[in-house]
Amino acid sequence: MQVAQHSMLKPSSWFRSLQPTTKLCTPSVSNLDRGSKRGGRGLVTLGRQPEVPAANHLSNLTLECPPSTLQQQQQQQQQQPTSAYLHLPFCKRKCFYCDFPVEAVGMKTEAQRVQQRMQDYVKLLCKEIKAMQPLNDAPLKTVYFGGGTPSLVPPDLMARILDTLHHHLRIEPQAEVTLEADPGTFDAPRLRAYMDLGINRISMGVQSFDEGLLKACGRPHDLREVYRAIEAVHASTIPSWSLDIISGLPRLSMDSWRHTLQEAIHAQPSHVSVYDLQVEEGTPFARWFSPGSAPLPDDDNTATMYAAASATLQDAGYEHYEVSNYARPGHRSQHNQVYWRCLPCYGFGLGAASYVEGRRFSRPASMPKYKQWVEDFASPDSKSRGVPGLSQPPDSQEERMLDAVMLRLRTADGLDMRSFASEYGADAARRALTALEPHFQDGLVLAVHEGRAPTGPTNLGSLHDQLVNARGVRLADPDGFLLSNHIISDVFAALSALE
Amino acid sequence: MALLGAHCGANSSSLRNLATKRSAPQLCRAAPAPTVPNETALPAGGPGAKYAAGQCTKVPVKNIRNFSIIAHIDHGKSTLADQLLLKTNTVAERDMVEQFMDSNDIERERGITIKLNSARMRYTDSQGELYALNLIDTPGHVDFAYEVSRSLAACEGALLVVDASQGVEAQTLANVWLALENDLEVIPVLNKIDLPGADPDRVISEIEDIIGLDCTDILKVSAKVGLGIDDVLEAIVKRVPPPKNTVDKPLRALIYDSYYDAYRGVICQFRVVDGSVSRGDRILMMNTGKEHIVDEIGVLAPNKVTVDTLYCGEVGYMAAQIKSVKDARVGDTITLSKNQAQEPLPGYVEVQPMVYCGLFPTDSNQYQDLRVALDKLQLNDAALRFEPEISTAMGFGFRCGFLGLLHMEIVQERLEREYNLQLITTAPTVIYKCVTADGQELMINSPADLPEPQKRRSMAEPYVRLEMVTPTDYVGNLIELATSRRGEYQEMRYLTENRTTLVFDIPLAEVVTDYFDVLKSRSKGYASMEYQMIGFRENDLVKLEIKINGEPADALSVITHRDNSYKLGKQLVSKLKELIPRQMFKVPIQACIGVKVIASEQIAPYRKDVTAKCYGGDISRKKKLLSKQAEGKKRMKALGRVEVPQEAFMAVLNLDND
Repeated sequence: MQVAQHSMLKPSSWFRSLQPTTKLCTPSVSNLDRGSKRGGRGLVTLGRQPEVPAANHLSNLTLECPPSTLQQQQQQQQQQPTSAYLHLPFCKRKCFYCDFPVEAVGMKTEAQRVQQRMQDYVKLLCKEIKAMQPLNDAPLKTVYFGGGTPSLVPPDLMARILDTLHHHLRIEPQAEVTLEADPGTFDAPRLRAYMDLGINRISMGVQSFDEGLLKACGRPHDLREVYRAIEAVHASTIPSWSLDIISGLPRLSMDSWRHTLQEAIHAQPSHVSVYDLQVEEGTPFARWFSPGSAPLPDDDNTATMYAAASATLQDAGYEHYEVSNYARPGHRSQHNQVYWRCLPCYGFGLGAASYVEGRRFSRPASMPKYKQWVEDFASPDSKSRGVPGLSQPPDSQEERMLDAVMLRLRTADGLDMRSFASEYGADAARRALTALEPHFQDGLVLAVHEGRAPTGPTNLGSLHDQLVNARGVRLADPDGFLLSNHIISDVFAALSALE
Repeated sequence: MALLGAHCGANSSSLRNLATKRSAPQLCRAAPAPTVPNETALPAGGPGAKYAAGQCTKVPVKNIRNFSIIAHIDHGKSTLADQLLLKTNTVAERDMVEQFMDSNDIERERGITIKLNSARMRYTDSQGELYALNLIDTPGHVDFAYEVSRSLAACEGALLVVDASQGVEAQTLANVWLALENDLEVIPVLNKIDLPGADPDRVISEIEDIIGLDCTDILKVSAKVGLGIDDVLEAIVKRVPPPKNTVDKPLRALIYDSYYDAYRGVICQFRVVDGSVSRGDRILMMNTGKEHIVDEIGVLAPNKVTVDTLYCGEVGYMAAQIKSVKDARVGDTITLSKNQAQEPLPGYVEVQPMVYCGLFPTDSNQYQDLRVALDKLQLNDAALRFEPEISTAMGFGFRCGFLGLLHMEIVQERLEREYNLQLITTAPTVIYKCVTADGQELMINSPADLPEPQKRRSMAEPYVRLEMVTPTDYVGNLIELATSRRGEYQEMRYLTENRTTLVFDIPLAEVVTDYFDVLKSRSKGYASMEYQMIGFRENDLVKLEIKINGEPADALSVITHRDNSYKLGKQLVSKLKELIPRQMFKVPIQACIGVKVIASEQIAPYRKDVTAKCYGGDISRKKKLLSKQAEGKKRMKALGRVEVPQEAFMAVLNLDND
């Protein structure tokens, strides 16, 4: 597990000191009084329910608090964040399609100036973490370092971040901790150094196995570095890793795409993300290209590429579990599923989005503004009281309902209509199903059942009944996924007509 | 300039204030002042009687002059009218709103007169004789040709105002012909002679050549700077004949305008042709047969000044608790119930709307509001017709009939401005005459009402005589334009060396589309046009239907000449192909005559959306996108299974003919 050359690095205390015990970390912040009173409920979340006879347990609780409060508490309980996203914006250069908050530092990443910038940023990031009011009774179950190119941040700085995070919010020993890493920024030893800090998943942006396309995208690495990076990942024996590729790139031919898919499979990642290029405003691509017209492949071609990716990857044993994501069994991204399940998540860093206390909040995407925001957020007289976005009202029931539709329908698990109905009402559920019915008829939507495969429309009973009697609904792969906006916006239209 | 200077910069709010002040029931009620010696011998309110501190002083019939001003848009009619009001002290400079005669916002913005206003002026001529000059305004657009003719019929003379640099235009011509038909003394006036571009000699020769008016004594003025206005007033007195004195005959008064006032019902403006009328008289509308009791009469000076009696030759207004302008139609003759005239005055016509369009509220909740607004407008607009219409594409709305395109635009604009309604207007169509197999004659204003082909014996459409006045350079372009729109050449008159009149008989349907715009663009803005109805003519007219995915799109059906139908059908389907978003299945679009498909296109099914990830948990952008898409969908009109954006219907309905 250890690598000698990295032992001089300050070890990550959370990862080393924590033995995999069942001992629970209680929240250290006392102003969360309801948190300290509810220590026991953390158990429920963790699936480590004390072995009290169920009836007894329930009656105890019932005695303590009236049923309505219990329900309320359970809801609040569900809304405690156990995930954190941290944004590390540094890249060698900004890719031509990218519109994420990125700080381009140049190819000489070891330069003192660059290292200093990273240190300053990490300091700021840690300041933000410390200013955050801990809202979780249970330690974090997923941590995700996104960017940017987080693998440019040296392991000692990563250690500092993880320590801060652990001291402040606690990280569960088995937590999934992902680091985005680009070819050309790491070797096996560096990966092992990250692993020593508790990082156990890599998400690698390869984007293409076509040298010309890497250049055309303005990637800071070449194909040789891609293969080296794959070797390094295997050499590191990291337990889980993902490989990202992009379809719909300029002049991408079907043959070239098939090659990229084959090479991706050949690399044997445990997870693959396939993104269809989106030309974002303000990027060089937006200046050069217009979507759907040459040299970008047209919509019919990109649809074919999408379908090819889905078929090829599934043949190779990957489950297509979300519009853009594929995983070998047991290797779904735990962190990303938090988003798709509408669960709360901490967010830290430049441009990062958080969802805590029912509020979605995006931090400023420019460095000076973010810096100012952190100063304000951390100041003792801040009105936010350690909760970003506290000045806005929490998302309404309707907002949450639309989130659920939008995010759940992106997944292969689909939208569970029973819990949807119990949460948002039978009327909303009926409207959603009515909007989905024509798509069900067209084979774009499937009925999801318990214990058996999803089904399309049959001759048994009306289409409406078939949907109503199902456990839930999902989009068909690939045609339904391809038209997800269209289908989801139909449901949006039906639901917003509620008012 | 100096005269108007103080008010030229007046902002719109002060304009509105004054307009409100004028239309408010502001009465200057004053007892007639007994100033004339022999007064007891005079009938009440006869010559010498003064009202409103002399604002209205009665004069003998021989000292009355009734006149109007004929001019092309922008040639300075309103400015001249304002100057006359100022020079005669009818309106004080401080009360002057620029272009006093055009009183509503739409008129002022467009520089045209829609509703008529009259003004009685006191004028003492060079010999010291007191005259009453009545300026009767005329609407400045062909849509209101009938109203123009009635206004002119109320006058004995007309000032023909021609821009000294622009020359004679089509609209001027048409109105001059009307004035001459009504035996009016036409006094030519050259305006804007102070402008650098003025070319009085050329324009004078145009007036002499084209209209055949003697221009020896032509008046040269600059209404804007107030130059030559005294000469105009003097000429009115000298050259316009006085009305005939027929005071002993039974009352006949010509209504040349009427409008609805929320407080007093309809206010009629009229010219007493024979006899006299007094407050309290029971009157009879000779054409509509309605009776009313006059509860107020007066003159507009230009504010309302009530008087006791109006005698032959005089111009004034009355209120008689009339509920709607339909009961006091323009052109009708007022007589006394007890002492009825034998014959009504000639020239009364019940105007028929010639142009129809659908008006639909964008927000279906505004349907009732639209109905109420149309009802209110109709109180004041006898020519406006409407009936409910239901369209699969547009929902609930009204099929409305208008005199012409301008009338349509004005109504639409008033609905939007004064009633705050958001409207969708379908392309204007004309009214068709259909004779059915069993000999019935139907007037068809919507393709939906057209009987099946086998049930029709014949179809006829309205034709107009179109006169286009153009610099000679563009004659070729305009002949081509008119011919391409099924125009039939009638004649060409060389007005002057470089100006020509082209006369065509042409279907109104071809004119009510974008004809005027194309005329302007093909003549670099120099040509003008005018048309008048010449009746219906049988033609090979067909109903062109559009089917989207097999479903008829009723809003897009049109009645058209068979020769045009193929081209139009092709245009419609290809435009729709552009505008209807790809659906998830193949969508055929067809143009059909009956069961025969004459043009078709196909929209390929669409296969993919943007599948972008929700990066780093930031779902807000994606959600915004989807919400926007959902909003768009709510505005879509489903045609069968095809979702068609309303914009597509609108774009198709506005399809130009080029």
